[in-house]
Amino acid sequence: MIEVENLTKQYGDVTVVKGITFTAEPGQVTGFLGPNGAGKTTTMRMLTGFSPPTAGKATVAGFDVFEQSLEVRKRVGYLPETVPLYRDMTARGYLMYLAEIRGVRQRRQRADEVLERVGLGHRANSRIRTLSKGMRQRVGLAAALIHNPDVLILDEPTIGLDPFQVLELRQLVQELGRDHTVLFSTHILSEAERVCDKVVIINQGDIIAQGSPAELRSRLERGARILVRVEGDPVAMLDTVGKVPDVSSATHQLGGIVITPRADAPDPRAAISRALVNAGANLLEVRPLAVDLEDIFIEVTRRASLGEAQQAAEQQEALKAALIHENQSEEA
Amino acid sequence: MRALFAVFKRELALFFRSPIIYVIAFALMLLMGFFFTSIVGGMSDSNQSGYAQQLYTGNLAVINYMSLFTFLQFIFAPLLTMRLLAEEQREGTLEVLMTLPMHDWAFVVGKFLAVWAVYTFLLALTGIYLYLLTTVSVLSGGIIFSAYFGAWLYGGAVMALALIWSAVSEDQLVAAFLGAATILVFYLATPFSSQVGELLGTGAADFVRELGLSVHYDSRMLNGLLQAHDVVYFLILMGIALFITTLIVGSRRWRAS
Repeated sequence: MIEVENLTKQYGDVTVVKGITFTAEPGQVTGFLGPNGAGKTTTMRMLTGFSPPTAGKATVAGFDVFEQSLEVRKRVGYLPETVPLYRDMTARGYLMYLAEIRGVRQRRQRADEVLERVGLGHRANSRIRTLSKGMRQRVGLAAALIHNPDVLILDEPTIGLDPFQVLELRQLVQELGRDHTVLFSTHILSEAERVCDKVVIINQGDIIAQGSPAELRSRLERGARILVRVEGDPVAMLDTVGKVPDVSSATHQLGGIVITPRADAPDPRAAISRALVNAGANLLEVRPLAVDLEDIFIEVTRRASLGEAQQAAEQQEALKAALIHENQSEEA
Repeated sequence: MRALFAVFKRELALFFRSPIIYVIAFALMLLMGFFFTSIVGGMSDSNQSGYAQQLYTGNLAVINYMSLFTFLQFIFAPLLTMRLLAEEQREGTLEVLMTLPMHDWAFVVGKFLAVWAVYTFLLALTGIYLYLLTTVSVLSGGIIFSAYFGAWLYGGAVMALALIWSAVSEDQLVAAFLGAATILVFYLATPFSSQVGELLGTGAADFVRELGLSVHYDSRMLNGLLQAHDVVYFLILMGIALFITTLIVGSRRWRAS
């Protein structure tokens, strides 16, 4: 159980975390979603006792992070963003070292157990310097699990892993979520959606939305852009699509037509496919573009600040960035 | 204590696994060896004929080489301590350690005891000279005990001083350099105390003299004068230095980074 109330962190004049409030329940995976520099890591560091809050209150497993730091640290397993490890130790040796500091009994057995759990049983005797990045990440996770903590705080654990490892790790996090309180940060919405029972979205130190992934997605998918692919040259069909009611704009992108529906319009996909078929096009695909954090982020901030010209310009920039991102993921 | 012991054990194992300890031991013993050879070379029938002469030259030899051994620590102690905390900061492993249920002082003291143990090993290497001296002269147990016990405390104090800089700087070379400078200031405080006295009066001179390392070791313990206040001086120096180091390590919790 993690309870955060008006938690604030200032570095000099800069307020990095601006009085956030949320809870993470036991038996659930809580996703902490936000772009880089949103304050995710800072918040997690406050929760693990690494840096103290400037104001506000946070309790982890019933203990105050500032007043009872040692008690909190006993009950938290923490995987920092860049996993720091002693490169000259073996995976098992490192885990046994942490286990000894933490006062875990039967250290060797426990170290092998957690290594097995993260799928590194066969590399227990390898020096950490010889392990791949994904393996190191998993050693870090094993280190966070060594004392079977009530609360797990994982800072972007899937960064730098290959897709297969990402899947494994997500599965592991979900398993752990059943009997632990897991706070899990990421900047990938689809990841949060797959893994988390609850998502907290943070931007520039503020929580801008929280709820279950399904809730957030349904809020977001209204107005999400749609990709249409037709046989032949899509440019010929731009006009046809543009005339469909509820379509605000249609452009030739990503080898098809990208359609932006009018805000607050009902799902226009049926109307679009009908119009295209009637126009004689061979329709190959109609689907919403993958909704990722950039979208949700742009969307939420757009709704929060409608009518402010400067922010609209910034959103344009962000939208471009999102498109580039999508192009890349389309190609990948 | 459990955590302290875990840190101590890991650090000690690391010292003896890494080449630096052997390089340092080699360099130190090479220098000491040249010096010792010249001391023994100075012994001849003319000054070794009687028991009293053998007693005098034997103990003088111990005093001379231990004086050099402790003086050289201004170079060797920072080389041993520079890595201890600087590396943890640079590698980021400090972030993991600081989120473990362990007091900052346990971490610092564990590291310190490990490096002090390494120093004890280096000090023990000079035991070979004691053995060699017994074959050509006569040694006094009291002086040997006082000289070695003093050198042991002296080492602990200068290691603790140098360790401060390892907590301050992420850069090992900077930590080593500043550590060496700090030890040298404490070493030279005694010889320079008279100049201080001319400027600031005798009270200041006394203070600076007693602040220095050499008045407590070279002038007293090394000559067989074992007094509680000299022992207390080294213990307090260690205590203060470790306290400062702990504060600096802990300050990372409060600072922007």
